[in-house]
Amino acid sequence: MTPLESRLRDAGIACRVEVRERLAILVSDGAGPTHDERLRAIQLARAEGFSHVCLELEPLGAALPGD
Amino acid sequence: MNPVAIDASTRHKEAALATWLRERGSVLVGYSGGVDSTYLAVVAREVLGRDNVLAVLGRSASVPAEQSQNAIVVAERHDVPLRIVGTGEVEDPRYAANPVNRCYFCKSVLWTELTPIARDHGIAVVVDGTNADDVSEYRPGAKAAREQGVESPLADVGLTKAEIRALSRERDLATWSQPSAPCLASRIPYGTAVTVERLGQVERAEAALRALGIEGDLRVRHHGEMARVELEAALIDSWLEPANAQRLTQAVRSAGYKRVALDLRGFRSGSLNVLEGVVAA
Repeated sequence: MTPLESRLRDAGIACRVEVRERLAILVSDGAGPTHDERLRAIQLARAEGFSHVCLELEPLGAALPGD
Repeated sequence: MNPVAIDASTRHKEAALATWLRERGSVLVGYSGGVDSTYLAVVAREVLGRDNVLAVLGRSASVPAEQSQNAIVVAERHDVPLRIVGTGEVEDPRYAANPVNRCYFCKSVLWTELTPIARDHGIAVVVDGTNADDVSEYRPGAKAAREQGVESPLADVGLTKAEIRALSRERDLATWSQPSAPCLASRIPYGTAVTVERLGQVERAEAALRALGIEGDLRVRHHGEMARVELEAALIDSWLEPANAQRLTQAVRSAGYKRVALDLRGFRSGSLNVLEGVVAA
């Protein structure tokens, strides 16, 4: 688990984090973040040294509703 | 978008621009159809007359076709003489390698094409749409302009982007509220080769997002098989909602990207410069 993944989890945001240098890609099978979660994710990513944080939409291989 | 009020300082700068143009007598405008070069070309047309202005539009794979078409329409509407030239920057290996100073090679190609046109037409000076805000940004293309004697009257008289938008609105220029539109190569991280295929992929993805009704600043950043979409911050929450996220994903995948991500902070001008550490976050 990456440090950012861990901090996000502590903040109640469960996701995997794919790291590409200063870009953090959040990958989650669940619903997208709320407004407050989004701002918190940006804050935590910056604290971990990332200049950019994004959320993968509809990741391939993610569980479909009803799976 | 609400334009800033036009105050006495802005009026003074616009008057200074007219004086600047009169002193040169004739200008060739490096024209993109964007906010700055359109305003400059139209003011030059007003101040100098039709015979003393030539706008030249560079066409290449790094400029969206729709943008070029809009530029042609705007020039026609405002009776600005226009010439279109093909620029082959993508064929230049120094540009295609996509170094941090890629813009230098692009602009070198552009101004190398335009300077002889000015000479052939007996035009005194080649000008670009660099404004006063641009001067403080990382712009290696400006070096190429300086080397070829290209001048920047908007920056010289201190006109900022906000002032140019306000003055454009007053002139009823359709460009006044147009988002900034840097070339498509600005979506490709430094060190990743700029190819016609990748530029086309970015162009198709952005066009597909516009077709969904997304307005304002929008960029599709190319990260290999993944597209990272930057929207205006105020739009992000809405496009994270499941139904919208699905539409956005499908639109971008239709351009050939396997993975689609939405930047949680939203649009940032020069975002890849920040990501690459070229400028501070």
